[in-house]
Amino acid sequence: MLANVFTKTVLDRWKGVAIAAGSLGLMLLFGMAVYRDVDLSVYSNLPEAMRSLMNIGENADASGLAYGAIYSSYGALTLASLALSMGAASIAGEERNGTIGLLLGNPRSRTQVLLSKMASTVVLVAAGTLLLWGLGRVVPEILSVDIGGRQIEALMVHMFVIALFHGFLALAIGAWTGKRGLASGATAGFMVLSFFAVGLLPFVEGFESVAKVFPWHYYEAGTPLVNGIQWGNLGLLLGLSAVLGAVALVGLERRDLRGHGVAVTLIDRLRENRFTKKVIERLAGSARVSSVSAKALSDHQTLLISVGYIALLMSAVMGPFFLLIDDVLKDFVDQLPEGLLAMVGYADMSTPEGWFQGEMFSLTLPIAAIAVTAVMGSKALAGEEANRTMGLLLTNPIGRTRVLFEKTTAMVIAAVVVGILSFVGTALGSLIAGLGMSMAGIAATCVLLTLLSIVFGALALALGAATGRTRIAMFGTAGLALAFLVLNAYLPLSDSLAGLARWTPFYYYLTSDPFNTGMHWGHAGVLAAIAVVLIGVAVFAFERRDLRQTG
Amino acid sequence: MNDQIAIHIEGLTKHYGDVHALVDLDLDVSRGEIFGFLGPNGAGKTTTIRTILDEIRPTAGSASILGLDAREASVEIRKHIGYVPGDLAMYPNLTGKDTLTYFSNLRGGVDWDYVDHLADRLDADLTKKVGDLSSGNRQKVGLIQAFMNRPDLLIMDEPSSGLDPLVQREFQAMMREVAAEGRTVFLSSHTLSEVQRVADRVGIIRHGRLVAVETVTALRSKAMRRIEFEFASPVDPDVFRSVEGVRDVEVTNHHAVLSFDGTIDALLRTISDRYDIVDITTREADLEEIFLTYYRDEEVTA
Repeated sequence: MLANVFTKTVLDRWKGVAIAAGSLGLMLLFGMAVYRDVDLSVYSNLPEAMRSLMNIGENADASGLAYGAIYSSYGALTLASLALSMGAASIAGEERNGTIGLLLGNPRSRTQVLLSKMASTVVLVAAGTLLLWGLGRVVPEILSVDIGGRQIEALMVHMFVIALFHGFLALAIGAWTGKRGLASGATAGFMVLSFFAVGLLPFVEGFESVAKVFPWHYYEAGTPLVNGIQWGNLGLLLGLSAVLGAVALVGLERRDLRGHGVAVTLIDRLRENRFTKKVIERLAGSARVSSVSAKALSDHQTLLISVGYIALLMSAVMGPFFLLIDDVLKDFVDQLPEGLLAMVGYADMSTPEGWFQGEMFSLTLPIAAIAVTAVMGSKALAGEEANRTMGLLLTNPIGRTRVLFEKTTAMVIAAVVVGILSFVGTALGSLIAGLGMSMAGIAATCVLLTLLSIVFGALALALGAATGRTRIAMFGTAGLALAFLVLNAYLPLSDSLAGLARWTPFYYYLTSDPFNTGMHWGHAGVLAAIAVVLIGVAVFAFERRDLRQTG
Repeated sequence: MNDQIAIHIEGLTKHYGDVHALVDLDLDVSRGEIFGFLGPNGAGKTTTIRTILDEIRPTAGSASILGLDAREASVEIRKHIGYVPGDLAMYPNLTGKDTLTYFSNLRGGVDWDYVDHLADRLDADLTKKVGDLSSGNRQKVGLIQAFMNRPDLLIMDEPSSGLDPLVQREFQAMMREVAAEGRTVFLSSHTLSEVQRVADRVGIIRHGRLVAVETVTALRSKAMRRIEFEFASPVDPDVFRSVEGVRDVEVTNHHAVLSFDGTIDALLRTISDRYDIVDITTREADLEEIFLTYYRDEEVTA
């Protein structure tokens, strides 16, 4: 085994794993603390289907709710995301950085390098799991919460295996194609699709068993937290991972390695095609370099297109989907406790508005929209510095503040695009299914969504402007956004802490129930004001400091 | 401000914590000259350039470019300069043509005939993506970007890296043409031969301090020579060291090599009194050796 490749990879990556596990541990601490202080007897009366979706056993208690809500969904998704980003970076990442040649310049075969990379992925995912396990054990001790018969070890083993599976899927795609973006994008897309399919399909009559197609099913099925390790399911996932590993080895052996190069995009192909050349040249060539904003937008086109597509398509599909599971929802929505409703922003899931709010607008769309603005915001200035192009850009007679404003404009335009697509998707969904939702209400919600995402984009911009480091901007924003999201969801559960929720930006997003009550200009104003202040901070910080020359 | 001064630097100091990257640097570059800025890696060349371009802010001191304050008027200044950063990085997903279009849009227009002319001279391919170009070919795009606006002042940080000798020669010709038109070139380099070929004056920087500023002719006219002697018998190095103007004496048995900038008569008399000279060769020292000499002096006085 290639000890140095292995150690280097582990050393490059351990921080991300530690930070992610640490944040999840904090979330668990917080969630459990809140659950400990609220009356949970109502949860025991939840319909069985609902409890299973939330990974809660029959005796709902603080630990069960916290483990179920935080560890088994957020935790598993986070761990799997880390694994897939490691898998995608393994070979394809080295190719993209142009370091694969250097690496293979040493007397090591491709297979040896790949095996080292696999080993490091396994070890890192295992380390992350162990850390989560430790925190999961410590938190109830700190809070003196009785965890009852919860089999946290079983849940951990399942989380480890599902993460590993996604890591190896990304590794295999990367090994065959050499494209890191494709490997991580396709795997992440597949993971999110599985997650939703496994969560929702069981409620659709006639489609209950379709969920078994998705690997995520074998992670959740049997509820390991309650019933212990499901050996059959684990065996299946491990077997699939092993197959993917073998596929990766074969794929890497047979293809040409990519040099330090640039991916050929669809636009490039169209640009070379003689039929489309003229039009595309206009659009892709001269238009994208017409200004700093245009270029910034063009740089993030893939992200914007994929998120816009998710926003549009998923929102549209949610309309007809509501009709399919309408009856099921109505059956148990009456029994839902107040506290549970708080988690989805008091959405009454039996109404179309509540359904859209609960399924799309309380989590999926804000995360998607913030992902776009946070990436664009953090790369706006710090990205040019990391790529060492800032000096060249500022050779031109444009001031730092103008660069910042142009980049901000691009970020705002992207946020507006996602907002508009969310509106179009939701309106379409309502029209297709004949749900008769208020267009003004949808529009108001989407405006608030756009403003919310701009707030976090501005935060990322300010962090990048102040530090010049994309990582700080990106992780800082993601961490704060997640913290605010969780705080805003859980604080209202506790009477004494409910008032604190207004200190999170999320409070000004859905609290006014814009679907039903229309635009809340005061809340919109608060979000806009936060964004303006953050951009002001960014200008101040960016004008003052030395530009960085290296990443 | 003197209209004849392209770059005026006064007491420029930059500290990064305890690291003193630049120490009280004074420098004037006249319009119409090619000024070579020489120093080894890490001497402070790039820090100087990045400071006068307002990328980083000095701890003390100030600079003005083309009569304008480098800090206050940095945007106005950039209308009149072309810049090639050291260790050039560009946008890998843009073609050369896209890159130049981008910058010309930010500047408000460019003469494309002139760009084609430059691309022709440097044999640059502007249709390929920058990320797919070799480092030398990428450097050409960077050079065109700096030259294309016919700037009054060209600031270039190690611009010839990766260029093949033919292109280097063309590039040197381009710099001379710029100077001939009364425009200014500020050329940072550690390649002495290049500076020697094009520069009018040279500033030597080391450990953040300007060690010397000399015209290239003055450097040469110091008449520093390398002299090699072959003797009939082994010699004592101290004999050479007693003569004024002798440095860097290397003696191996019958053989001696030294640098010398005094009168050759005095040297020969002293030596031939003591030893029989079998053979003698002498040649003009190149800038490299002069350069090293300056460094050594600096070390001795420091």
